[in-house]
Amino acid sequence: MILLFLAGLALAQGAPPAKVTASVRRIFGPATDVRLLPVGTDTVLRVARGDSLLGFAVVRNVRGKDQPITFLVAIDPADRLKDVDVLVYREPYGGEVAYDAWRRQFRGKSAADSLRVGREIRAISGATISVHAVTLGVKQLLADLTHWHQTGAIR
Amino acid sequence: MLRAAARLALAGGLWAAAVPAPAPAQESTTVGGYGEIHYTNSRGRNTPAEVNLRRFVVYLAHTFNDRLAFRSELEVEDAQVEGGSSGGEVALEQAFLDYRVSAALTVRTGLVLPPVGIVNETHEPPTFNGVDRPAFDHDVIPTTWREIGVGVVGRLPVADGWNYRLYLVNGLRADGFSAAAGIRGGRQKGREASFANPSLTGRLEWVRPAGGLRIGGSFWYGGTTGGDTLLGTGSFDAPIALLSADARYDRGALAVRAVIATLSVRDADTINALYGSAVGSRIAGGYVEAAYNVLQVMAPTTSQRLSAFVRHERYDTQADVPTGTARDRGFARRITTFGLAYKPTWNTVFKGDYEVLRTAGGSREGETLRLGVGYQF
Repeated sequence: MILLFLAGLALAQGAPPAKVTASVRRIFGPATDVRLLPVGTDTVLRVARGDSLLGFAVVRNVRGKDQPITFLVAIDPADRLKDVDVLVYREPYGGEVAYDAWRRQFRGKSAADSLRVGREIRAISGATISVHAVTLGVKQLLADLTHWHQTGAIR
Repeated sequence: MLRAAARLALAGGLWAAAVPAPAPAQESTTVGGYGEIHYTNSRGRNTPAEVNLRRFVVYLAHTFNDRLAFRSELEVEDAQVEGGSSGGEVALEQAFLDYRVSAALTVRTGLVLPPVGIVNETHEPPTFNGVDRPAFDHDVIPTTWREIGVGVVGRLPVADGWNYRLYLVNGLRADGFSAAAGIRGGRQKGREASFANPSLTGRLEWVRPAGGLRIGGSFWYGGTTGGDTLLGTGSFDAPIALLSADARYDRGALAVRAVIATLSVRDADTINALYGSAVGSRIAGGYVEAAYNVLQVMAPTTSQRLSAFVRHERYDTQADVPTGTARDRGFARRITTFGLAYKPTWNTVFKGDYEVLRTAGGSREGETLRLGVGYQF
């Protein structure tokens, strides 16, 4: 019954739950406890193993040329970016932002770091819109997560 | 009972179902656009400067569901179209339906852009240097080139970084070909186009997964009779074959791009005899351009850009001529353009450049100063 309900919810969401689960497992490792903490319009995933906090993650959308790009940002307890995942990329062009080789540039960054395309973040010619959209989206989400964590909105 | 089920769901990762992300499944419409305004001043006597609202384009897309999307660009060229006077154009540059099967396969139907070279598909003013598009992208690759057809685009699942597109579209019409601008006048642009010559066009490209490099190869093959039985009755009669390669390289402040193309017009002799033209049997050339963002050195804290660039184009729309056609060396062009592009944001640009046109024949030469603004959103 409840499984059916959850499956129904899953279908209604932009990000397939299997992808969110796989992403959290990839970033934080297997056998983690996940709690959902609503903050404003976002839902923060609090990831822990036993009593030790591993970090937080949030799923959001940014607009590409005409479709939303669904991405996840995860931080560690020290507010450093653990990883970015592009969960769903819907447009026919610009999908290169989902490649690990490009995404890994964000790892270890903190909210105080500058994230500019062409400087800290490599440009991908022919994917300009997606590169700027994802970079801005990650920067904003990293700032939000850091702020919530430092002000105790999430703990 | 309920609590137990919830814990079970948690352990199984089903919590993820409750993670809200704005669902894209509902219908939505997106509006965007781009445009450019030019100031052009050719050197010499009695050549007063001109200002022109070169392009105003509205991008309109609609998402019907997860798989189906419509995408279009409606363009006004030169600000105004008026009955009885020449100049100006209102045209659809793109209008197609995309059916997305997977990342590897999207089926596209409608007025599409042949995926040839760099500028034809990516033509928003902030994406290229120089006020005007490269002359090569006018006379050799006739941008904005669009024809009606059906095709497939996607990522090749073989390895990261490989993309392809392949379209079957209506053919070009040889009665529009010219000595100066090659196949440009042969485009049908989706206007009651003859489908006498179904043509194939496609592209294979590789993007370095970490970013910074995109290289591609493109082709076009098809007949050009446009239904004129004097030129041929077969679908592939009077064929043209185009091959092109391009590269875009970005590293820090440096941006380099290059394109080459060669086009053979097999029955140029018949075409010239039939339509009184002087089309080359081979059209070929290319350009290489380097740009450097000087603000990266002068103002390390800013995200604005000021790029100094130089581009050298070499092409000849009569690289070879058929017997019976006189070769005009004034069509063998060498164009050097240097200038600046200031970008306060990645999608707005103020441009200025100086173009020097030289030809092997010494005729049709000139020098032009251009200023312009451009945007996309």
